[in-house]
Amino acid sequence: MIVGVIVLIAINIIILSASSRSYSSYYEPGRIAIPFIAPFQKAVTRSVRFVRGLWSNYFYLVTAAKENERIREALNQAVEENNHLLELKLFNIRLRELLEFQKAITSRVIAAEVIGKDPSPWFKTIIIDKGTDDRVRKGMAVVISDGVVGQVISASSHYSKVLLITAHNSSADALVQRTRARGIIQGGATGRCAFKYVLRKHDVQVGDRVITSGLDDVFPKGLSIGQVSRVIKPDAGIFQEVTVIPYVEFEKLEEVLVVLNPLKKQL
Amino acid sequence: MTHFFHFIICFFLVIFQTTVMPYFPMFDRFYDLLFPFIIFLSLFRPLRESIPVILFFGFVMDTLSGGPFGLYLTTYLWLFVGVKWMTTFLDVSDSVLLLFVVAAGVLIQNLIFIAAITISSPLTLPFSQVMNTIAVQLIWATFTGPFLLLFFNYSHNKWDKWISQLFVKT
Repeated sequence: MIVGVIVLIAINIIILSASSRSYSSYYEPGRIAIPFIAPFQKAVTRSVRFVRGLWSNYFYLVTAAKENERIREALNQAVEENNHLLELKLFNIRLRELLEFQKAITSRVIAAEVIGKDPSPWFKTIIIDKGTDDRVRKGMAVVISDGVVGQVISASSHYSKVLLITAHNSSADALVQRTRARGIIQGGATGRCAFKYVLRKHDVQVGDRVITSGLDDVFPKGLSIGQVSRVIKPDAGIFQEVTVIPYVEFEKLEEVLVVLNPLKKQL
Repeated sequence: MTHFFHFIICFFLVIFQTTVMPYFPMFDRFYDLLFPFIIFLSLFRPLRESIPVILFFGFVMDTLSGGPFGLYLTTYLWLFVGVKWMTTFLDVSDSVLLLFVVAAGVLIQNLIFIAAITISSPLTLPFSQVMNTIAVQLIWATFTGPFLLLFFNYSHNKWDKWISQLFVKT
């Protein structure tokens, strides 16, 4: 038995030794099986690769989609932040202008935000977020750096209603800066003002700047109102018809200053 | 609950037309959005439901507006009464007349407003400007008014259904 096993081992070693010597031979025995096995291997390998590719692509796509969503969200946030910063920048510019203007007009003023507008095209008022608790009273002037906005016509504890200078029932004592011709600025149509009761003999030209006279005890003296856009001197009568375009863009009003104590400014 | 619905709708309309709409130049000469709602009340709702809403929001609009106090209240009440009276002999709620009822209401409101302005400060409104504003408002009212009316009616019906279901469940 033991001898038989030893003989088998010896034969095995001899065969292995012989086959290892003929490894490079074309007629090796392993080559016979390859044509039968390889197609299956190929098919299975390709299938596995395909599934693996599909799987990894799927996951890649899912990851890419998630990444895309994340990037899109980040981009949206960045755009929103950018917009917010731009808005802050513009807000800052407007406040700086108001601050500069506040220093210039020598009156005590309080800044207010416009929170509502009159829905009717016939009446021109705005609502601001300052009221009697902030020392705002009826009759106080409302201005911005561009010029006169209007005056407070009613005030509650935290909010006030401001009649714009372009309203048909609004008026302010004014004069032409160049020639000191006096008149009354009254609201009119299409956002323009009529400069009434200007004597015919006074020199008023298109392009002249109209400012507050301070004589109405509402608006401080010397505030810009607008620019003369039309002058008609009728053949008869003692007054001329003057139209003024206000400097203030009322559609874009966002912050205003309420003049708490109108001190007459000396020009 | 119905009053609450009316209050919410009117509150939204007031806020929308005083804060959002002024930012869009195309709505510069839009008509009063409460008008279709008042007409809706006149056409589809009973008197006891409508009067408190009209009084309250007429007062609110007068507070917000720069016009003579009571002008909106007056206009709303007259509009309500006028449309109610009209429905006694015309079936306005179910006909082509619905297309024009808001426009007619807007025209009446404008005429009342112009009369008020003319009385308070004569000769301040140029005729061309007046005509232009009225024309723009009428166009808006003709094209959007009926939709608003139908929307109010639809949402009110939905609200009623929802409330009744809610109370049945509870």
